[in-house]
Amino acid sequence: MDGLDLDVPAGDIVGLVGANGAGKTTTVECIQGLRKPDAGVLSVLGYDPVTQAEQLRPLVGSQLQDSALPDRLRVSESLDLFATSRARDGGELLEQFGLAQGRRSVFSSLSGGERQRLFLVLALLNAPRLVILDELTQGLDPAARRNVWAAVRQLHEAGTTVLLVTHEMDEAEALCGRIVVMHAGRVIDAGTPAELVDRHASWATVRFSLPDLPAPLLEELRQFNGVRDVERMGTRVTVHGSRRIIAHVGAALVRWGSVPDDLSVHVPDLDDALLSLLEPEPAAEAPVPVRSELVGGRR
Amino acid sequence: MNTAVGRLVRAELRLMVRDPLVLTFVFAFPIVTMLIIGGAFGTAPDPAFDGVNPAHWYVASYLTVVIAAMGLVMLPVHLASYRERGVLRRFAAAGFPRWSFAIAELLIGLVTIIVACGLLLIVAVPVYGIPSVHNWWRVAVALPLGAVAFVSLGVLLGSLLPSARSAQAVGLLLFFPSFLLGAGGPPPHVMGSAVRTVAGPLPLTLLTNAVREPWLGLGPATGWVVAVAALALALTVLAARRTVL
Repeated sequence: MDGLDLDVPAGDIVGLVGANGAGKTTTVECIQGLRKPDAGVLSVLGYDPVTQAEQLRPLVGSQLQDSALPDRLRVSESLDLFATSRARDGGELLEQFGLAQGRRSVFSSLSGGERQRLFLVLALLNAPRLVILDELTQGLDPAARRNVWAAVRQLHEAGTTVLLVTHEMDEAEALCGRIVVMHAGRVIDAGTPAELVDRHASWATVRFSLPDLPAPLLEELRQFNGVRDVERMGTRVTVHGSRRIIAHVGAALVRWGSVPDDLSVHVPDLDDALLSLLEPEPAAEAPVPVRSELVGGRR
Repeated sequence: MNTAVGRLVRAELRLMVRDPLVLTFVFAFPIVTMLIIGGAFGTAPDPAFDGVNPAHWYVASYLTVVIAAMGLVMLPVHLASYRERGVLRRFAAAGFPRWSFAIAELLIGLVTIIVACGLLLIVAVPVYGIPSVHNWWRVAVALPLGAVAFVSLGVLLGSLLPSARSAQAVGLLLFFPSFLLGAGGPPPHVMGSAVRTVAGPLPLTLLTNAVREPWLGLGPATGWVVAVAALALALTVLAARRTVL
């Protein structure tokens, strides 16, 4: 970590994203008091995670990466083991996360997805004020994933603060009110998902096919304000540029009486924004993911 | 008892009962070797065994083998395995106090030792008989002190060693020389002077002497008991300083 400045407002869902080795897990380990920072000030729910760990840890629920339970411990026994006097009804949580049928299963017999869900149950068991979720839905099938997302939204509605560490940008976009992007131990940007997309991936790509493409139309498209690139491959045309080109291209096609059947618009998402932010040069050069179409254009 | 230590003790005892084969080394090894070694030298009083029945000499020695097996092999492997797999990390993140697991293991280690020693004596009764205890209170002081010393050593080793495999390698390396030189091997009188010099200060030798001498009436063993008490204190302090979840 190097000069990390991270502020997680109470009651928010904040996403911590970044490439492998960015320092996300180190950060959450410091927040949990599992690792001692060399320098700096850290305050979690008003406590110092190192010197006041005993007071803090009961208030924090964690779903950690790289952890396990004893192989022969049953699901129901794990609830007994982790339940403090603040504990919620563990049976309800097992029901909510689809583990009620397997309450007598031992940990070693659970699938990867079941283990993830059990860790989530344990993280929520003692009604924590802060929940730290590290790679929340890794290994879950789509249905279980949506189920877990719904549970996180419920936590938010109940006023619980959630710090979500993830590589899944759709997850961050779907759940987080604010996203903090880390690179090489530093925060390099933060904002709502929409703000990050606007700042780092404000382009758009419009594609269409026209059998008899009028040459002046192509020239007109190139002249529009915001158009960065127009490529043509046979009957297929791809226009890259700012978001405003979407309207310009549509209007021009209508004006020329050439309305294609297959007009499509690609607007970047958080994934594109993160790629652009973490690898600015290649992303700016090649905003369109389908390279085979980049033939014969003005590149 | 819903304290963290209580919950850990309950869970660990359940796991132990569910998978008793894990305890083979603590339960079976001392009994099997006692039966073999105890029968090897007959039952006639022998000057090499300070003039006592060799089988009784070994029965009085093997309770400490149980203690050493627990402290040098079982506990370090168990703790290092939990550390390696991230179980301790999960306990720490869930708010278990930093000493809770070590205290739980200490309690479970002591309970296991009591049960394993009881089993060893039950097996010894019909085969060799149990020698009468000449000085009960000294034996009763030395055994728990030794158990605390070795269980603390086990917790300490489990905290220091990075993996279950390394804990097993180091544990066995410490256990077998200690076992052969300090408890279950030949009596000191038949050892060469160099071997006797090496064997003398080994923790298991100190503990075995502290138990065997007052048990068989060979001496008060005050020095040995004091040495074991000092060892228990030092190892408990060291384990407490080093052990965190």
